[in-house]
Amino acid sequence: MGKIRTADELDSLRQSIIEKLDPNKTCVRICMTGCRAYGAEEIRDAFDEEIKRKGLEDKVEIRETGCHGFCARAPVVVIDPQDIFYQQITADDVVDIVDKTLIEGDIVDRLVYVDPVTGGKIPFAHDVPFYKEQTKNVLRNCGIIDPTNISHYIARDGYAALSKVLTNMTPEQVIEAVERSGLRGRGGAGFPTGRKWRLARAAAGDTKYLVCNGDEGDPGAFMDRAVLEGDPHSVLEGMLIAAYAIGTKVGYVYVRAEYPIAVEHIKIAISQAEEVGLLGKNILGSKLSFEIRIKEGAGAFVCGEETALLMSIEGKRGMPRPRPPFPSESGLWGKPTNNNNVETYANITSIILNGADWYSRIGTETSKGTKIFALAGKTNNTGLVEVPIGIPVRKAIFDIGGGIPDGRKFKAVQMGGPSGGCVPEAHLDLPIDYGSLEAIGSIMGSGGMIVMDETTCAVDIARYFLSFTQSESCGKCTPCRFGSKVMLDTLTRITQGQGVEGDLELLESLAQQIKDTSLCQLGSTCPNPVLSTIKYFRDEYEAHIKEKRCPAAVCDALCSYYILPDKCQGCMICLRACPSEAIEGGKRMVHIINQGKCIKCGTCLSVCPARFSAVAKVSGEHVPTLEEPIPVSTVTKGG
Amino acid sequence: MSEVTLEIDGKEVKAEEGTTVLEAAKGAGIDIPTLCYHPALSPFGSCRLCMVEITSKGRKRLVTSCNYPVEEGLVVATKSPDVIEVRKGIIELLLARCPNVELIQNLAKEYGVEEPPYKPGDEDEKCILCGLCARMCEERMGASVINFVDRGVDRRVETPFQGTGDKDLDVCRACGACAFVCPTGAITLEDITGKTPEPILSEFDEGLATRAPVYVPFAQAVPNVPVIDKEQCVHFTTGKCKTCEEFCAPRAIDFEQEDEVIEVEVGNIIVATGFDLFDPSVIQQYGYGRLDNVLTSLEFERMVNSAGPTEGHIVLKDGSEPGSIGLIHCVGSRDEQYHEYCSRVCCMYSMKFAHLIKEHTSADVYEFYIDIRSFGKGYEEFYNRMLEEGTVFIRGKPAEVTNIAETPEEEGKLIVQFEDTLVGRQRRLPVDMVVLSCGLEPSRDVEEVARLFNISRSADGFFLEKHPKLDPVATMTDGIFIAGCCQGPKDIPDTVAQASAAAAEALSMISRGTVEIEAATAVIDESLCTGCQLCKILCPYSAISFDEEKRVCRVNEALCKGCGVCVGGCPSDAINLSHYTNEQILAQMEGALS
Repeated sequence: MGKIRTADELDSLRQSIIEKLDPNKTCVRICMTGCRAYGAEEIRDAFDEEIKRKGLEDKVEIRETGCHGFCARAPVVVIDPQDIFYQQITADDVVDIVDKTLIEGDIVDRLVYVDPVTGGKIPFAHDVPFYKEQTKNVLRNCGIIDPTNISHYIARDGYAALSKVLTNMTPEQVIEAVERSGLRGRGGAGFPTGRKWRLARAAAGDTKYLVCNGDEGDPGAFMDRAVLEGDPHSVLEGMLIAAYAIGTKVGYVYVRAEYPIAVEHIKIAISQAEEVGLLGKNILGSKLSFEIRIKEGAGAFVCGEETALLMSIEGKRGMPRPRPPFPSESGLWGKPTNNNNVETYANITSIILNGADWYSRIGTETSKGTKIFALAGKTNNTGLVEVPIGIPVRKAIFDIGGGIPDGRKFKAVQMGGPSGGCVPEAHLDLPIDYGSLEAIGSIMGSGGMIVMDETTCAVDIARYFLSFTQSESCGKCTPCRFGSKVMLDTLTRITQGQGVEGDLELLESLAQQIKDTSLCQLGSTCPNPVLSTIKYFRDEYEAHIKEKRCPAAVCDALCSYYILPDKCQGCMICLRACPSEAIEGGKRMVHIINQGKCIKCGTCLSVCPARFSAVAKVSGEHVPTLEEPIPVSTVTKGG
Repeated sequence: MSEVTLEIDGKEVKAEEGTTVLEAAKGAGIDIPTLCYHPALSPFGSCRLCMVEITSKGRKRLVTSCNYPVEEGLVVATKSPDVIEVRKGIIELLLARCPNVELIQNLAKEYGVEEPPYKPGDEDEKCILCGLCARMCEERMGASVINFVDRGVDRRVETPFQGTGDKDLDVCRACGACAFVCPTGAITLEDITGKTPEPILSEFDEGLATRAPVYVPFAQAVPNVPVIDKEQCVHFTTGKCKTCEEFCAPRAIDFEQEDEVIEVEVGNIIVATGFDLFDPSVIQQYGYGRLDNVLTSLEFERMVNSAGPTEGHIVLKDGSEPGSIGLIHCVGSRDEQYHEYCSRVCCMYSMKFAHLIKEHTSADVYEFYIDIRSFGKGYEEFYNRMLEEGTVFIRGKPAEVTNIAETPEEEGKLIVQFEDTLVGRQRRLPVDMVVLSCGLEPSRDVEEVARLFNISRSADGFFLEKHPKLDPVATMTDGIFIAGCCQGPKDIPDTVAQASAAAAEALSMISRGTVEIEAATAVIDESLCTGCQLCKILCPYSAISFDEEKRVCRVNEALCKGCGVCVGGCPSDAINLSHYTNEQILAQMEGALS
């Protein structure tokens, strides 16, 4: 592929790529990013080998794509043109797939997705509820194209938005379009992107920088990763349009070094774009010159904070600095800097191509467009989902997420990761947007949704999130450094049954103090999980403190393990596994846990065969047990 | 820079655009507590103590005043209930971290925080993690020897490679800025470097006190302004720092200033370049520089001065008051090995010391003398008074001052070994302090000055006057006079008298308005002069100069005394004495002989 010198050349190149593509050719799309952890590489090798063996090389394309989103069912493959969806496959299934589907056109029944609610088999991807209910805009190419092949991107209108901007729009018109679209920063704070660009454009000085924040750090969130891995050119194109609008020549992509595939793919994308002249000097014959550099982050959560991120790019220790001055005035090396999230940049092309009006029709009054959520936790269909902003929480969790496994009850969903708050059952019909979530003490954040069911302890989950932020606190400012530690210690005490009267008030006042006085968002948002769980599950906190009881039976110190006499089969598995030799009994004798010796490690519960389920973990209640082991045969077995 | 008006605590405050709310408040005399703020460092925003409540564009919120820029119409409350509440909260957290740091305890007292509601940390913890040390080292000293390591509650200040325990980092200059700026004493230089800091000794205080690289030379210096020691200043040695600039409100510090040479044309010059004190370290047996509490007279003079390093208290090195002091006369004077002459002032200043010691302390004073020379007006009376005050005068020049004790009484003392010539016995006297009454000697650069002004020197090295009795302030060169100790040791009355005489001589020449010159002066025939400059070297009155352009020598007729040395010395016979040309003399000789 030679240099593309003009917008027309780009168009004709796109035409020639599309002409060469046969829409009816069989194509096996394998997720080679997230699914790699589940053996996608072996599956691909098996496909390659089998297809070679069967002489199908010319008829079948094996395409390595980015994330398909349905991570709960990894590894997944989709076979075009029929859109057949196979899930949780192994390399051993490949022979069947090739024989039955690729050659004969039949469906391999056992690999088809089964709806957990209806029990019905759904062979086609477009019929799977998880996909059906989504609106793919940012993720439109993820799972479809080979992210390491720029032709695939160009064929799907890639760089058409850039071409439109460079030939038909002034920078001012670009900013106006982004402003009118209502796009807000997808990193979490939701600052209007257009206004940010306008500030950066208006800032004094010739040298300005553009930064793409790919330091995704929230536990459970991986939407930026998916975009960088599955469709890196869409981020580059968004950055190019921003560079044109703001007037910068150099951009940085800050990406975690723990995302090796993302780093690799963005590097490949940059070198491909440079090769064809979509990055470099006088792009598409215009006056726009832009180069993109990569900075790999070392993994500190705080580097996602924009000032810390800039410090890190400068080669200094990533620590937030007080604002003002804001980066739009004085950012990277003291120059005006515009910083947006990966997902924000990835939204730009659709705004330019489809128009601001089209974009602003999606979403709610104050929050426009689609948002990618990382659905995780106690839900059937975990994975990445892209939905219009404003859909009810219930729809995301129950329709797309497929509800709670094992028929358990929904308790709450943690939105926005460790900086966010929980949405309890009472608010399940709340539309997901920036304002409504904030009003109930949660946030949109970067889009993490961690679903909790009745077996999740509110205190323990708050402690978990706080332990994350506390250990990630850079320690620069007093409230975050020490205040979060005091809060964590207090929560730990409560979960260990050492909570005292007044702890709740201390937590609340300290949380407010940290919110008011912290230097950066890491500190000022870290009390959110605690405050919101106290708000919605105060009774659970009080049960821990006053009754020394964990209603969800999670906090080990407050729980006891009992062997149910009517279920125990005397198999001796738990007796042998118990590290503190607290279990008494013998072969075919009902076992008893000596509560004095029990260290509450939970080993017995985990080793007891599921068909027996004879070990119970309870808190605050007493389970009647035997005085001493008796033969199993003498006990009346319950239902 | 334009000015903006804002309101702080109901008070209208004007501030320059670009400055911070904290600076504006400080300027208006409104106190906002800070810990991590330093005027010479960039805002850090870590302690959060300087938080204030602002109302900007109708929105109320809490911000840190150390970095928030002033804006027109901004309303700031530094003591609103919310502000006090958050400050209290921060103090509680800090107090829990550092329960025994005075700075935090005082803040707690001020804000009514009694006990932190949290479990206190290590009671020895002094570091409040304000980062002043690390930032000072990086931003101003340009060394970056220390910085924060680890994160969260484990955050602390360390040198690089702290795990290796290697403290001898080349980059550390042991400048001590970190320890100096630390508000709680958490940093000591020993934690950071194995190097020993070298204090800058105050020249004016004879090395008894230290001074900073920017300093006022002495209390009544004229002009009474600070100077920067270019050899020691971090800015001049490394290009960084400039901290003083930030502290100087009138912006008077100018690092671009250069030394200036000012040329003044004058008709008379009075040379009064003074003397140097004899350096007693060459007399090794007296132990100066080797033994503690052996002082020179000038050091002692600084010590008893109420504006001196000890505020006039006579103290030993360990800070205690001496019980006995020995004063040794004629150190370097009246001594064939050093200076044969009598320095004339030592007897009397030693007796002044004795008087001051008696006045300041209850110490015993011993004066070791050769002869008491109390020759001036009222001097003998002063000597008698000293005798009455109980000063012990011992006739005999000590042989040695040692710290090697021979008896238990001598333990820990300085022992003066001497011969009491009045009783003819060798004795040892243990004292706590020895003051060496050093003599006066020509100043170190006397030779250079002599060459510059063409002044002759007598055998003792001091400047030679034209005539000891008839012209004691003039020199061989007209218009150049000498006064004070550069001519020879003398006390203040004599110096003043001589200086007055020199001034009068100069004035008499000025008032005359003209200078009488010698009629018979040397004249150079430029057509014969080869420009060898031999005459210039020979002329005792510096009357001959060399004209670089014409490459010939010239005679300054005002200076020429007509001595004829140049006439005889000129190899080309180019110089003649007017009225006494060679032809005239030869003609005279011929006439006389015919």
